[in-house]
Amino acid sequence: MKISEQAVFRWVVIVALAAASIAAVTLLTTPLVGALWALALVLAGAWHAYRWWRRRGAAAGGPR
Amino acid sequence: MESATVALGHAHEEHHGPPEANQSSRIDRQTLGILLFIISEVMLFGAFFASYFFLRVVVHPPTWPPHPYELPVAVAGVNTAILVSSSFTIHYALEAIRRGNRKGLKLGLVLTWLLGATFLFIQVNEYVHIGFSARDLAFGSIFYGLTGLHGAHVFVGLCLLSFATIRAFRGHFGRDPEKHLGVEVPGIYWHFVDVMWLIVYTAVYIL
Repeated sequence: MKISEQAVFRWVVIVALAAASIAAVTLLTTPLVGALWALALVLAGAWHAYRWWRRRGAAAGGPR
Repeated sequence: MESATVALGHAHEEHHGPPEANQSSRIDRQTLGILLFIISEVMLFGAFFASYFFLRVVVHPPTWPPHPYELPVAVAGVNTAILVSSSFTIHYALEAIRRGNRKGLKLGLVLTWLLGATFLFIQVNEYVHIGFSARDLAFGSIFYGLTGLHGAHVFVGLCLLSFATIRAFRGHFGRDPEKHLGVEVPGIYWHFVDVMWLIVYTAVYIL
């Protein structure tokens, strides 16, 4: 991922949608459920970031 | 020194001072600089969030927010929409200058600044009317600490946008990426401010 304003703006949209989903889940259910959904999204994001980092390392010819 | 240069037949200019610093071929210095700064600010916000969640989860008072305090969720929600809109306007400004549209750049920057200033005004107004201060329980301290820290970042972002807007009106920026770094870097910072507010709003007002 090239570090540019375009790439960062993409993440603004993603985080905004995630925050909206957390707000919707919280308002429709309970704060605990909302917090669990938030945790699930954070873990999904961390997993995605880890996979991106591994792909990047493999593309650069680094050790797996 | 000069005679040696002439003797060697070199036509290049002499370099004075320390050697040129190494730089990455993958990222320019300015973007790397703002990225490292943002990472450090994320650490700072992380410390405040740790304090917030410690108070809420570990200390675990009977109610949250503590009675009789209430948070204006709807007003803060409108404020969130204003700040998210400002990310779209700064993105529009940058897309405009990438196509060489200087009018679009100026319009986008002015709109972003106005939206950011509106956000800050509403935040200050919220502080005036919210009914508790930073001295009222640990809740008050962490609420003002977290939102105030973010407000300070918005203020810094407005200063950066002011510089960018003045330069845009003076015709300093061009289509090439290296010719509008003075807008790109504040744009990246402004998006960070927006993302941080989304996390603050979700954690403090919603959850």
